[in-house]
Amino acid sequence: MQDTTIILQILWTSLATSTYYVLFAVAFALVLKVTRLFNFAQAAVMTIAFYTAFVAVQWLEWPAWAAFIAMMVMTLAASYALERIGFEALRQRGVSVMFVFVFTFMVSEFVAYVAMLIFGTWPQTIFPMIFWPVTLVGEIAVSGWDIPAMAATVAALTAFFAFMRFTRTGQFMIGVADNPDLAELYGINKRQIFLVAMLIAGAFVGLGMFLYGTRAQVLPQTGLSLMLFAIAATIIGGIGNIAGAAIAAVILGIIQNASILFISSEWQGFLLYIFLFLAIVFFPNGLRLPRRRGRFGTATRDIPLGRDAPPAESQA
Amino acid sequence: MSSFDRRAGMKFGAAAFMAAAIALAGPAFAQDAFRFGLAMPLTGSQALYGQDQVKAAEWAVAEINKAGGINGKKLEMTVLDTQADPQLGIQMANRLVSVEKVPVFVTAWSAVVKAVAPAANDNRVVELSVGANSPDIAKLGDYVYTTFPLADIDITAVAKYAATSMGKKKAAIVYINNETGIVAAEVYKKVFTEAGGQVVAYETYDPKATDFTGPLLKVRAANPDIIHLQGLVSDTPQVIAQMRQLGLAQPISSYSAAYNPKLIQQLGAAAEGVIATSLAPGADDSDTVKAYVARWSKEVGREPNGLPYTQYLYDAPYLVAAVLKSLDNKKTPITGENFRKEMLAIRTFALPMTGKTTLGEDHTVVKPVYLMEVKGGKWTRKAIVGE
Repeated sequence: MQDTTIILQILWTSLATSTYYVLFAVAFALVLKVTRLFNFAQAAVMTIAFYTAFVAVQWLEWPAWAAFIAMMVMTLAASYALERIGFEALRQRGVSVMFVFVFTFMVSEFVAYVAMLIFGTWPQTIFPMIFWPVTLVGEIAVSGWDIPAMAATVAALTAFFAFMRFTRTGQFMIGVADNPDLAELYGINKRQIFLVAMLIAGAFVGLGMFLYGTRAQVLPQTGLSLMLFAIAATIIGGIGNIAGAAIAAVILGIIQNASILFISSEWQGFLLYIFLFLAIVFFPNGLRLPRRRGRFGTATRDIPLGRDAPPAESQA
Repeated sequence: MSSFDRRAGMKFGAAAFMAAAIALAGPAFAQDAFRFGLAMPLTGSQALYGQDQVKAAEWAVAEINKAGGINGKKLEMTVLDTQADPQLGIQMANRLVSVEKVPVFVTAWSAVVKAVAPAANDNRVVELSVGANSPDIAKLGDYVYTTFPLADIDITAVAKYAATSMGKKKAAIVYINNETGIVAAEVYKKVFTEAGGQVVAYETYDPKATDFTGPLLKVRAANPDIIHLQGLVSDTPQVIAQMRQLGLAQPISSYSAAYNPKLIQQLGAAAEGVIATSLAPGADDSDTVKAYVARWSKEVGREPNGLPYTQYLYDAPYLVAAVLKSLDNKKTPITGENFRKEMLAIRTFALPMTGKTTLGEDHTVVKPVYLMEVKGGKWTRKAIVGE
């Protein structure tokens, strides 16, 4: 039964490691949906998040919870600064999308460079130790990291989707995503909504980086390469479909890990690029089942933006 | 740190300017001093390493001069910045060869070493590669030599040791899918097979991967006696952690990337039995190295970036000085051609920081390989291969 064990182990581990990918993908997809920006500066926020936690734990010797709070504060502050100092100024000047793209990319490279100057090129982790104890469930090795990481991710996502569905701000976000100028006509402060989207994305990035940094080593450039996965998931999940991006991140992770059973291991990393290529060329609007419509896509049309009437959510 | 870098940069600039001024002053001056060149990245992405290596070489030159120089004459080093960029490297090499007219220059970074080789060969000036480890460096021409062991020397040592001294019959190789991993994995496979062993699993992982379950489960299914891991500093601890988590309890061997104290810190008990290599003796192996590391802490306030590389750079001026001294004793004119002849005639050098160095016939260098093993939560020396 070696094969069954291998398949189950791969499934379990992929599911556990997809937690941070899902968080990064949701953050990227959310900003893209609401602000219509390919926010490559997310990598900068990731770098800031990680090194804040690193400094708090390893240099200042704070307990884990304090380090987590410090990291979240810094991450949100970075997201705030990015939106208010960066994107808002660019929007007001009416610069082209390409310019914003260059700006976000530059911010990420800049932060990576500064991190390299301060922390050097040696890989770091949040806690000195990355070895998590293992419990065997049947023949499946479950590490002490897996369950808490999955629980935290599920909790964060549940809170997020509930926020989007049941709060006014959440619905305003959908409204702004659908048509920012129209939303503004209805009295939604789109400036504030953009900021909320950036902050929520920042919180996801913070949590994701905390999970990542407690399991794997991080270099100043790690944020940039992690983001590539988030971009692939966002495109495959269908631009504007946040849940799609989350599901795509899980599936991509599983396919990539499980591919070892069918193809030689050196092609594993290549798969990501094949996904990206196929997605961009054949499914630029994401993979969709026939007649399935994005939940938010449907919801948007019925939301009485800025009015007091209850949201008429249509059921998918 | 940045202010330190800038000051250091200015110092290098000043040193280079002075050396140039001395060169321009004419032969009268040159009689009183021996000169050689050093072309390293002082700016750019590799500067963190390059500057520390230059500092090590500067310390060595100062020590040599303090101890009386070469037969009473000073040794002078002209430092130029390559930014680890081949194009810039060629310019700097041309300057060293045509303007400074040095008989020998030291350089590093595989791409630069390769790019400047024609300048050395065409002008019959010796190029010493110190720190680059691409196996191609042995094939760059008559005037290019290395004092740094090339990539396959430690892999060969660790594979042979596993098959013979440890008596392992079935090895699994796990390697990172890039230049570092692919070439070394092939070397390990070849050496281990030739020594009578069998490679039962040969698995790779992507440089961007953060999870290695798939390849490691394949390794587990093959049930090897020993696992050789050829990764980078950044992924090695994670791969080992996952091996142990997936129940792979076999001895794990690796190479110099695994040899650092952080590995033990990161893995705790899971690090026990991990074997790594070191190409230079550590602070615990030699008092000279101990004093050297202490000097870094005292004067710079930290350990050098890439300690073993700086050890090799520290030794380079000593090798150059030994050859120049021998030439001076014989009253032979100091040319690149004579330098090469004399260097090959001496062939074996006793260097302060990295020990015995023998230049091989095939333009490689023979150095002992230190096999280190984690025992009781500490790196301990397991064996020295090829001393």
